[in-house]
Amino acid sequence: MWRRLLITLGVIAPLLWLLAFGFTRDPRYISSPLIGRQAPNFTLKLFNGEELTLDQVRGKVIFLNFWASWCIPCREEARDLEAAWRRLKDADVAFIGIDIQDKEDDAKAFLKEFNVSYPNGRDPGKIAIDYGVWGVPETFFIDARGRITYKHVGTPDTATVMAKLQEARRGLVSAAEGKGSYQPIK
Amino acid sequence: MRRLLPLSIVLLLLPVTVGAAQQDLEEQVQKIASELRCPVCQNLSAADSPSELAQEMRQLILEQLKQGKSPEEIKAYFVSKYGEWVLLAPTAKGFSLVLWTLPFVAAGAGTILVLLLIRRWSKKKREGPASSEIGPEPTRSSLLEEQTRLSAELEELDFDFHSGRLSESDYKEQRRELESRAAAIHKKLALLPPLSSQQPVHVAGAPSRQAALGAGQPSPRRNWQLAAGGLFLLLFGITLGVFLAKSLRPRSSEQDTMTGDFLTGTGPGGVAGDSGNNIDSLLAQGRDAFERQDWPQAIDALKQALAINPNHPEAHSTMGFILAQAGHADSALLAFDRALSSDPNFPPALWGKGMLLYRVKEDFPAARQTLEKLVNLMPPGAERDEVQKTVTQLARLGGEGKKVLKKAQAETGASSIRGVVSIDPKLKAQVNSQSVLFIIARSASSSGGPPLAVKKIDHPTFPVSYSLGPDNVMIPGTTLSGKISVSARLDKDGDPTTREPGNLSGEYKKNPVEVGEQKIDIVLDQVM
Repeated sequence: MWRRLLITLGVIAPLLWLLAFGFTRDPRYISSPLIGRQAPNFTLKLFNGEELTLDQVRGKVIFLNFWASWCIPCREEARDLEAAWRRLKDADVAFIGIDIQDKEDDAKAFLKEFNVSYPNGRDPGKIAIDYGVWGVPETFFIDARGRITYKHVGTPDTATVMAKLQEARRGLVSAAEGKGSYQPIK
Repeated sequence: MRRLLPLSIVLLLLPVTVGAAQQDLEEQVQKIASELRCPVCQNLSAADSPSELAQEMRQLILEQLKQGKSPEEIKAYFVSKYGEWVLLAPTAKGFSLVLWTLPFVAAGAGTILVLLLIRRWSKKKREGPASSEIGPEPTRSSLLEEQTRLSAELEELDFDFHSGRLSESDYKEQRRELESRAAAIHKKLALLPPLSSQQPVHVAGAPSRQAALGAGQPSPRRNWQLAAGGLFLLLFGITLGVFLAKSLRPRSSEQDTMTGDFLTGTGPGGVAGDSGNNIDSLLAQGRDAFERQDWPQAIDALKQALAINPNHPEAHSTMGFILAQAGHADSALLAFDRALSSDPNFPPALWGKGMLLYRVKEDFPAARQTLEKLVNLMPPGAERDEVQKTVTQLARLGGEGKKVLKKAQAETGASSIRGVVSIDPKLKAQVNSQSVLFIIARSASSSGGPPLAVKKIDHPTFPVSYSLGPDNVMIPGTTLSGKISVSARLDKDGDPTTREPGNLSGEYKKNPVEVGEQKIDIVLDQVM
C-alpha cells in the first residue's frame, strides 16, 4: 500500500513541479546568447543626417539602447537616460539610441519631447535582429574592447545604468540579464 | 532563319526561368522561415507570423540566400542571435536530446506497463476458476454447462464409434478422457455449497467453510476504492472548472495575458468579468477622494483602477495631480506622460503637464507647446480663454529664465481673495473643539473637477478671517485667476473623508467673484 503510494507520488510530483515551473516563467522571455561576445558592428543613419558606425566609437564604453516611440516603458526611461547622458558626456562613454519598428515623424517627435541629445537613428531593418532584440526598451552595455558585458530588458533605473557602465569600464561581464518593465516588439 | 530559331527559343524561355528561380528562392525562404520561431509570437513560425519582426526575418533570409549562404548557415545566424530557442525543432544535442528521447522513452515505458498489467490480469483469470475465491453462481452454471457439453460429446463419440468412423482404441482413449473430465466437474459441483433447500444437492457432506466465506458480494475494500476514485474525479472536475472560470478573462490589451498575475505574476490581477463597471466606479471614488483632499484613499482607488487597466489616461492624470500636489514634480510628469501615451489628446493630462513644465520645471517652450495643443482641443469658453492667456504669457516669457518668472509672479501677486467666515448664531451650538474649517474655491465656469484652492483652518474661533492665495492652490505653481465661486465647510471631526450629519456649510452670497476681490464674507448657515 505505502509502496504503491510512494511510486505514484514519485511519478506525479515531478510532473507537477514541471507544470508549476512552466507557469511561473515569463513565456515571452528569451535569454540572449550574445552576452560576453563581440558586439555586432552596424552603420546607423542618424536623425540629424550623419552616419555613425559602432567602430567609430570603439575604445569607449558604449550604452546602446533600442527603443520605439510607441513603447510606454521607453517614455518612462527617456528622461532618466538623457539625464544620465548629460552627467556622463565628458567621461569616455558613448550613448547610442536605435529606434526600431517606428515612423520617422513619431520618432523625431519623441526625441524632441524628451530633449534627447545623444546620437539616435532608425534601424534600417537588420540591427535589431543582429542584437536579438525581442522587446523594447532593450539596452546593451559594451566595453572598450567591443564585448557585450550586460543586457537589460525593460527600463533600467539610473543606479543600474551607472553601476553597469562602471562594470563595463572595468571589462566585467554579468551573465545574468536585468529586467524591468518592457513591451514585446511587433 | 534556322540559326536564329534556337536563339529565339532561349529568349522566349529566359523570363520563365528567371521567374522560376524567383519562385524557387521564395520557396526556400518559406522553408527556412518555417523552421524558425517568431520571437514575438507564441508558437508561430517566422513563416506563418504576420508580425513586423517575422517580416524582417524573412527579408533577411532572402538577402542571405541571395548572398549564397546555405540554409544551415542562415539558421546558425539566427541561433547566434536568439539562441537555440529560435529553432522550432531543437537540435538533438545536449539537454535538447532529452526532448527528443523522452517521448519515446515514455511511450516504451507505457507499453511495458500495459503489457505487464494485461499479463497479470489474464493470469488471474486463468487461475480464477480453480481458486475457491470465485463465487458459486458463475462456477455452478459454467460447470453445469460443461457437464452438458461433455455428455453431448460422449453421445457423439458413441455415435461415431457405432457408425464405424472411429477405431476401437481411439474410441476407448477419448471416452476415458471425457469421462475423467466429467468426473472432475462432478467433483467440483459436489464441493459447492447448496444453493437453497429446494434445489437438489448432488453430494452429501457439508460445503467447505472457505468457499462459503469467499461467496457473496464484491469485497468492501473494492467498493471503498471505487468510491474514493469517483470522489477524486468529481473534486478534480469541480476544482478545474472553478479555477479556470475564475482565473481566465478576456485580454484587455495586447500586452495583457489571459490569466493576469494569477499564474505568472506579471500582469494585473486576475479579475472577474465586471472590470468595465469596476473601473468607472473606482475612478469615481478616486475623483471624490481627490476633491475631498483625501489623498490616501484617492491613491488607493486609482491604483486599483490602474491594476485593471494599466493604461487608463484619467487614472494616470489624476494620479499626476496628486503627485504634483505632493511636490513630486518628476513623478507627476511621468504620470501625465503615461496618460498622454495612451491618449495623446487627454485634456487634463495636457493641462497638468503644461502647468508643471511652466511653473516647476520652468521649461517654457515645452510648456507652451503642450498648452497650445490643449487650446486647440478645447471648445471656446472661459476655460479656453484662461489657457490661452497662459500661453500668451509663456510666449512673452520665451526662453528667459527664472528672473522673468519671479517678475511674472509678482505681477499676479494680487491673485488672492480675502474675507471673514462667520457662523449663524442659531447654529453656534453645533461647533465643538475638534472642528476644522475648509474654505474652498472652485472655478465658476466649470461645475465638476477638483477645487482650484483649499484652505484648512484648525479649531477656528468665529468669526475667522482668511485669505486664499497662491499658497493654497491645488497644483503648485498655479495661481488663482478669473471668476471663482467660494464656499466654506465646517467639518466636525476634522476628517474630510467622512461626512457626518451636523457638518455646517455656507456659500458666499454673491458668487461668482473675481480673483483679487476683498471682503468675501461667508456665513455658515446650512446643516449638512
